[in-house]
Order: sequence, then C-alpha cells, then structure tokens
Amino acid sequence: MAVSDPYGDPSRALWIALGVLLLVAVVATAGAFAADPEAAAPSPVPYDDVVELGLSSETDALMTGSARIPRTQVFYSQLQYVVGYNGVESFAAALEDGQTERQFGYPIAAYVETFDDARPETTETGLFESESGGEWTPAAAALYVVESDARSPAGETIVPFRERGAAEAFAADHGGRVVDWETVRRLSFDTDSAATVRAMAPARWDAADGRIAAAERRADRPVSVVVGEDAPTIGAAVAAAPPNTTVVVPTGTYDETLTVNESVTVAGEGARIRGDGNGSVITVRAPDVAITGITVAGSGGQTRDPEAARAGREREGESEVWDTNIQLGYGHGDAGIRAIGAPGLVVDDVTVEANASGILLREGSHAVIRDLRVNGTEEWQDGFMGITGMQSRVTVTDSRFEGGRDGIYLHRADGSVVRNSTFADNRYGVHLMYTSDALLADNAFRDELYAGITVMTRPSGNAIVGNDVRNSSAGVQASGTRAYIGYNTLVGNELGFSTSSRGSLYERNVAANNDLGARATTVVPSSRVVANDFVGNAEHATAGAGALRVWADGDRGNYWEGANVGPHDPGERAYRPTSPVDGALHRHVAAVAVRESPAVALLDRLRGTVPGARSGSIIDPAPAAAPYSPDRLDAALAPNAGPARADWRTELADQRGDRDEDAAMNARHRNATGGGIGPETKRVAAETASAGAGARTSVIDAHTAATEGAADA
Amino acid sequence: MTGPLIGVATVFRRELATVVRTPGYGVLAVGLLAAVGGLLAAGGGGATGFVPAIVDLLLPTEALVPLAAVVLGYRSLLADGASGELAVIRTYPVRVGEYVAGVLLARTVALVGVVGAPYAAVGVGVWLTAAPDTGIFATHTGIDSPLLYLRFLAFVLLLGAAYVSLAAAVSALAANRRSAIALGVLALVAGVLGGDLLLLRSLGAGASPATIPGSLALTPNGAFRGLVFEHVIGVAFAPEGEFIATGRAVGSLVGWTLLGAVVAGTALAYGSQVDAAIERVRSGIGD
Repeated sequence: MAVSDPYGDPSRALWIALGVLLLVAVVATAGAFAADPEAAAPSPVPYDDVVELGLSSETDALMTGSARIPRTQVFYSQLQYVVGYNGVESFAAALEDGQTERQFGYPIAAYVETFDDARPETTETGLFESESGGEWTPAAAALYVVESDARSPAGETIVPFRERGAAEAFAADHGGRVVDWETVRRLSFDTDSAATVRAMAPARWDAADGRIAAAERRADRPVSVVVGEDAPTIGAAVAAAPPNTTVVVPTGTYDETLTVNESVTVAGEGARIRGDGNGSVITVRAPDVAITGITVAGSGGQTRDPEAARAGREREGESEVWDTNIQLGYGHGDAGIRAIGAPGLVVDDVTVEANASGILLREGSHAVIRDLRVNGTEEWQDGFMGITGMQSRVTVTDSRFEGGRDGIYLHRADGSVVRNSTFADNRYGVHLMYTSDALLADNAFRDELYAGITVMTRPSGNAIVGNDVRNSSAGVQASGTRAYIGYNTLVGNELGFSTSSRGSLYERNVAANNDLGARATTVVPSSRVVANDFVGNAEHATAGAGALRVWADGDRGNYWEGANVGPHDPGERAYRPTSPVDGALHRHVAAVAVRESPAVALLDRLRGTVPGARSGSIIDPAPAAAPYSPDRLDAALAPNAGPARADWRTELADQRGDRDEDAAMNARHRNATGGGIGPETKRVAAETASAGAGARTSVIDAHTAATEGAADA
Repeated sequence: MTGPLIGVATVFRRELATVVRTPGYGVLAVGLLAAVGGLLAAGGGGATGFVPAIVDLLLPTEALVPLAAVVLGYRSLLADGASGELAVIRTYPVRVGEYVAGVLLARTVALVGVVGAPYAAVGVGVWLTAAPDTGIFATHTGIDSPLLYLRFLAFVLLLGAAYVSLAAAVSALAANRRSAIALGVLALVAGVLGGDLLLLRSLGAGASPATIPGSLALTPNGAFRGLVFEHVIGVAFAPEGEFIATGRAVGSLVGWTLLGAVVAGTALAYGSQVDAAIERVRSGIGD
C-alpha cells in the first residue's frame, strides 16, 4: 500500500491527488486571508422579525391612525439577531453610546425606511404619516430631512428618503433641510432613559401627595342634606343636595342603588349601602364627587359585558380587536362604585365587599383613592378587580385588596400611582396594560396566585420601587421599555423578578429564598442589572434564549451569595449564575473544588469577550463582596417580620443628575401606551417560555397570556 | 529531480514511515481532539459561532499546540544519532542539510495530521452545530465565517511548525533521551511563558507601550496571539488600531522555524567536532 510503504513508488493517481489536495489547501488558506468577512452586507429582513430596542411603536397616536415612525434595522457584527429601532434618531443615539458597541460590536449594515413613493405627509396633529410603508435603503445612502414639522409622539422626527428630489419636495412642504447620514450622526438628540425614570420616581411620589391633598380639600364641603332627616334615601338626598355640599349618611344599612349626578360629597358615618345584586351599587357621573366613610356590598356579579365589546367592535372595525375587547368588556362590568367620565373622584375610608369589581373607573375618571378595603371573592375566577381603571389615572394609597381577580387592573391609565397598599390572595396584585409613566411604590403583596406586579404590553417609563412581594408565583414581571425596577424585596416566591423590560434599570432589589431569584428574558440584552442582592434562592438566576447578559455596570456588579467562596479576593472572580458550578456554590461547598480546577479557571478567563456572540447565559464580572441592602436582607430573612422598607426616596433624591450611560438606548418617549397584541404575544411567549429552568413559572406566563387573550375573545 | 531533492525526498519518506508507524502520535491526535472538543463543549463558545469558539480556544491552544509539536520533534534527530543509523545514513550521498530538511518536512506533515486534523474536525463541528438560540427572530451571522476559522487554523500550524523545528534543534543538541526531554520541556516553558515575561519586564523597565506590536511579534507565542487578534477575533470589533505588526509576526514565526532547522543542521554537522574539542579540553584539564 502506498501509505504504509513509503519506499515504493507512489502511483501517479496518488501524486495527482496529493497535488490537488495541497493546491486546495493553499488556495483555501490564501482565500481565507484575501476574502473580507465584512464585505457581504446582509439584506434587509421583514421588520416583524427584528428585535426592537428603544422607542416603542405602541403609542395611542400611532396605533389609531396612519401615523408612523421611520424605522431602522441594523446588523451588528457580534450579534446574531437583527435589531430594529423606531426612529432614525434612536439608532443614531445608540451609535453614540459605547455600551452598544461593547455588547454587540459595530454595525455591518444598517437600513432605514425611506418614503419616496409612500406619499409622506403629516397628520392634523403634526405626526408623520404615509400611505404605505417605506422601502429599505442603506442608511449611508439615504438622505434625511431634519427640523421639519413632522413629529413622532416622542418629538421631532427625521424623515429618510432615497432620492434627493423626494427629500427636497418634502422639505419644501414641511420645512427643514436635507442632510446626509454623516450629518445625522453628528446631531445630538434629546433622549430619556431608565435613569431619567429613576430620577423622576420621587417626584411622582410628591405629585401623588399633591393630588391627595387636593382631594382632601375637594371632599371637605359644608353639609346640606342628612339622610333620614332631610331625605328618605341616599339617592333622594344626593338628588336634593346643591353642588359642592356634603350629604351625610348616618350609621345604618341602606338597601338601595344610586347614581350621583352632582359634584357632592357623600359622607358616611359607618353606613352600609347594600345593592340588590344587579348592576353597580353607586354610579358616579359627575366630576369631583367624593365618597367617604361607607361600606358597599351587593353589586351584581357580572364581570364584563360581551355586548359592549361586540358593539364596539362593529363600530371600530376589526383592527385592534383584542384591545377593544378589553376596553369595552372590562370597562362594562358591575362594581361597588362605578365612575363614568367622572374626573376628580375621591374615595376615602371605604370598604367594598366585591362580587365583581370593587371600584370601576372609565372614560377619564381620574380618581384619588385612600384607605379603601376591597374584599374580593374566594376564587379569582368568580370575581373581578379590586380597582378597574380604564383610561383613568388613579392615585391609590393606604388601601388593602384581598381576594378576587386582580387587586388593581389599569388599562391606558398613564401616570397612575399605587403606593403604601397591601395585596393578598389575588390573581395579580397590580396588573398594568398599556399604562406608562406609573409609579408602584412601597406596596406589600402576599400569596399572589400569578404575580405581585405584572406589566404587560410595551408601555414605557414605569417605576416599580420599594415593593415587598412574598409567597407568590412571581414577584415583579414588568415588560415594556425604559422601566425602573428598584428597591423591591422579593422573598419566598417561585420567581423573584424577570428582566422582561428593555432599556431598563434593575437595581437594589433583594431576591431571597425564592425558587428562582431572577430570570433574564429579552433576547437582545439592553437593560442594566446591577447592585441587586441574591441570597438563599434555590437558583439565583437563569437565562432564556439570546445573547450573553452582562449583569454589571463597569466594575460594579450584584451580590450573589456563594460567588466569593474559595481562595480568591471577593469580586476578583467573575460569577456566572447560569453555570452549573457557580450556580451551586451557595448550596454545596464542594463546588469550590471544581471551580478551582485549571479547566474551569481557563474557561472563566475569556468569558465576556464578544458577549453579543455568546448565547443563553448570565455573567457578573464583578460580584460584590457584601450585600448592597443588608438591612432589607435581614428583614427579608427574619421570620415573621413585616414588609421590608427601603428609604429609596432619600437615596434617589441624592442621585439626581447622576450618570446616564444608557440614554442612547431610549430616545425620548412620552405618553407611550398602546400596542398590537399580535406579534408581541408571539415574542413575549417565546421569550418567557424559553427561560430554561423557569419552566414552571413560564407555564404560568404562557397560561396567563393565553387567558388574557382568550378569556375576552 | 535533482540531487539534493532526491536526498530530501528519500529522508522525508523514511521519516514519514517512522511517524506513521508510531501509534503514540495517533493517540496524541485523539487526545488533542478530546481536549479541544471538550474545552469547546464546556466553554459554550462553539454553540454560537466561530469567533466565540476561537476565543475559547485561544488560550489552551497556546499551550497545547507547542506541547504537541515538542512531542513530535524532541526525538526526531536524536533517535537516529543514538542508534547509530545517522552514521549509516551519512555513508550515503546525503548531506546533513538534506537530512535535516527531510526530517523536519516529515515532522511538519505529521503536525498537520496530529494538530491540524483535530482542529479542523472541531471547526467542522462548529460549522454544523452553531445556531442561534431561537428562530423566532431574523438572524444573520454577523462577522463570523468559516474563513475566520481557516485563518486561525493557518496560524495554529505556523505556530506548531516553529515549535517542531525548535524541538528538532533541541533533539540535535541533546546527548540522550533524558536530556532531550529536559531540553524539550525547557524550550516549551521558555516559549510559552518566557517571551511574554521578558516583554512584561521590558515594559516594567520603562519600554514604551508603542513598541508592543513590534516586540510582541518576536516570540512565537506572542506572534501567534497577535495574529489571531489582528486577523480573526479583531475583525468582529470595530476595525481600528493594530494588535501586532503582521509582516513582522509572520516573519518571526517563519524565522523561528528556519532558526531551528539551522541550529539542528549545525549541531549535526559540527556536533562531533565540538564533542571532540570538548573531550580534548577535558582531557587537557585532567592532565
């Protein structure tokens, strides 16, 4: 044989084969160096398939009309997913930001939506619109109209065009000037971020103080009618009372249902109003009504109205069916107190024994609610929400919600504040849909069936601060963009919190004794997770599909119990909660011996390089030596201790004007609510369901998403 | 074929036969495949693409490839000398240079098999298995391509060739098998750690960091690492700056290979005369 007998003359065929092989090897190697791996620019993909970062497209203004935000899609050198940005300015701001490049590499290709043939215009309110979607054009080849009168819900918007003629025509109609890509990149943009939301949290608290004080003044009116003395029933008393006076309801039980059509205060002195089991007990249809000191019982048990949903669907057409269903259906059930188009409602020291909703607010019934107690049904399927707020901004403080479906359900209720309240045995404690710029602070949640706090759809700018959730399926699950989730204490839940919100800030949370401390969900990481404490969880953290998550801010990481076990200085060694060895450190000392093996040490060293190209795990390059919030940790671990309290208002006030590195991820975006449930459901389900070890909770997520959609269809 | 080439070809074929008939080298290749494949499986870089795979492999490669090369080379010239076969070969019309060239070529081909094949197999594995975590979203490869892995493979073989040649020089200098092992280990440690320690020391002594791209290229490991950063991993970062002077680094790797060959040839050609001289000196001292 030729190979085993090198002394024999090799056959001609073998020579040729060897020669060809050598030639191929040489050519291939030469080719590998001659070819430029950057040269092949990928083609644009359908926008539905990109992973969106930054500005949300789910604003009311955009969803209800033909308005658009010019979109961008970007292929980064180290990231396998295509990233989409709403607004050219979002992308330009991201390029300015060092974080993006460290995490994803540099853009190898970027396309913007150009509107040459799409008949670009502006709406009556100045929003940019076009008859059809634009075409994808390489960003560097497009021309941009800046400083025109076209706006997005976030502010000025840049409109891209492929041809100069079209751009100039648009500029002639709408003002502004035509510039190239390099110029756009040099412009600076007014951006908001999760850090802005953090800085605003204390201000929202103060604003709530102001609203409560104003409500107190509003409710304090001279007495005009006393029920039993001046009028036989409360209904008659309210009808007889002049505006801006008080109807006094003495102690006793009153069997009636009533409608308030005047701006009066109904002041009970331990009175009990009992309905007849049909419809709502008290209906408010006037502004600035106050209801105090009463107990309400005996409403009907209808939780929503399928007729209203159907009628609304026919009126609005088939678009946004899901959202319409919720708005009309959820907003038309029975309640203890129901307010329709009644801004300035004050509810103080009221108890509702709820068969459906406790309080239902609809059509701009902005309300201040203090010291409300809602006792819901034993089984959540039988009842409804403690407070249902549809398009009504609520301010809730010092209240208590037990049983029923959700403690508080808010739908398009931007700017709401829920604080200092207690929730127990609900399905969800607080449940936000399409609700932005809210503050949920210093609440306590116990034994919640699905979650303490959940935020669905993709709202922006919510602050979830200082809450204490225990013994629930999940602590905080907030999706959206630009959220601030800080100073929460999450103990003994199946899941502490999930990082489902994009471009957001998760800091100073304590996750203790949960089955799973935290779960990383979004496929493309864009949030900062730092200075959280993880202690005593069966698993500290798991990650779903997607690029490597780096949970640190420079050299400041999180505190992980077990991370610093072993012969090295605290914080010196990176910690990977998703690795089987690191993840066991706080439970089994023997894991230390494995961790110190050369093989593990070797592999540890280069982790975190090319993070965007790595998959499915979490790394903390600088685990902290000591907990960030030792006091709250003690309170969390102490048996029978009350809710842990964080002094976040003082600490955040001190931090105002702090650094703001992630600004670029979040170009300005105010009043964002709304959303198409279609593609988003698909994504949310995919992102949550793929979260490895969180299988049990993700089943709940999927189930919830399904019920939310199906129950109201 | 002309005279010298026939000599080289004959020695080459004889040496290749020796390599093929040494089962230990097969075991070495399998071991290397297990080590490289295992590191990649445990590191997880291979699951997403070539660049993270190379990042995971870079550090172990700097130790494993020189080790394999030294194993291939440390006895290559010593064995014939010790057994007396070299003396027999010298009775044929084969010059020392032809003999050394033939042996080194054969050992380098062996390196391609023992080191190149496992790395290539791992590369094919990455090619077949690397995929994004989820198919819900549109994906692309980013800056990641088999070509980058091919570049990495070329650098691995260049590094290995330098060490084979240096190990052969060691084997020519060694008096017996034990000293060959000792010298081989010394060359390995000096190569893997020594160069970078010297560089560190010179920086500590006040050398300008601007000299790093040049001085890093001087040692085989530094040149290899720099080339991988410059032409493989660095491509995925923003294209600016220079990790290493490319020409100098390639020149350095080739230079170390040639240096090894020249030292080996010189040692074989003049080794006996040196020995004799030493013996004379020693006997002179003894008198």
